[in-house]
Amino acid sequence: MNALFKHSIAILCGAFLLCASAATFAANGQLKLPNFDSLTDKASESVTITLDAALLGMATRFLDASDPEDAAAIEAIKGIKGIYVRKYTFDDDFAYPKSDVDMVRKQLSAPGWQQLVQVKSRKEQQNVEIYILVEQERANGLAIIASQPREFTIVNIVGSIDMRKLHELEGQFGIPKLELEQKKQ
Amino acid sequence: MSKDFEQQLRDALRPVDPEEGFEQRVMARVAREPAGLRSKIKRWTATLAIAASLAFVAILGAYQWQERREQQGLEARRQLLEALRVTGEKLDVAYQAVNRESPPPTDDGSGA
Repeated sequence: MNALFKHSIAILCGAFLLCASAATFAANGQLKLPNFDSLTDKASESVTITLDAALLGMATRFLDASDPEDAAAIEAIKGIKGIYVRKYTFDDDFAYPKSDVDMVRKQLSAPGWQQLVQVKSRKEQQNVEIYILVEQERANGLAIIASQPREFTIVNIVGSIDMRKLHELEGQFGIPKLELEQKKQ
Repeated sequence: MSKDFEQQLRDALRPVDPEEGFEQRVMARVAREPAGLRSKIKRWTATLAIAASLAFVAILGAYQWQERREQQGLEARRQLLEALRVTGEKLDVAYQAVNRESPPPTDDGSGA
């Protein structure tokens, strides 16, 4: 009986620590991304980017402020402490485990996270969800979960985010300018 | 008096045989002196060579460290631009969808 009680206490403590660490991650704006190593072999194309504050600082030193693309990047990452991207493209439909994506989505139900936009395109079978972490009326984290039958992307940006600057990335990095798209329609 | 003095001088200046081994000691010392100098020069040369090698290794290490750091920086830059491209691409999908849904912009010109 005593041993059972001790085991229960140990399990409860473990569970509490696990939840606390996950909550700490989420509170910082940094999500605990699953280990997608097994998907790298399955995917026809994969992008894994992990840029913490130190690497971001290093990257900034190699950006040329006189280059428009680099200048936009410098502006966009001001106040950002980390960028984490996982993007996988497959040759077959739904070759990725939905449970992993759900695990990330679950973290976004933590206090502070708000869903900004949810786009569901039945035609293109595309689903894009944008979440922001609001702390003291400031966006301190951004999460994007985008899924298609043959592709899924998770973006997590940590730090003070200026959505306007991110929006200004349109026209840069090969992203078409929205106004031009509207004129075409 | 002068005879005594003469005798004294003769005694003092009489040829005396050196101690046994004197010649060998002198010759050994003569032989030793240049060898000591040579060993000193050798020691200095070795020290300088070690110092030069250390300096070379340090410079090479610093150069390689700088090179590696530059590669890491360029890789970080590439990753950053790729991350921003992916982020912008997904935000663009959302903006386009939201703009398709929302009514045309009003006169104040405030967009998404």
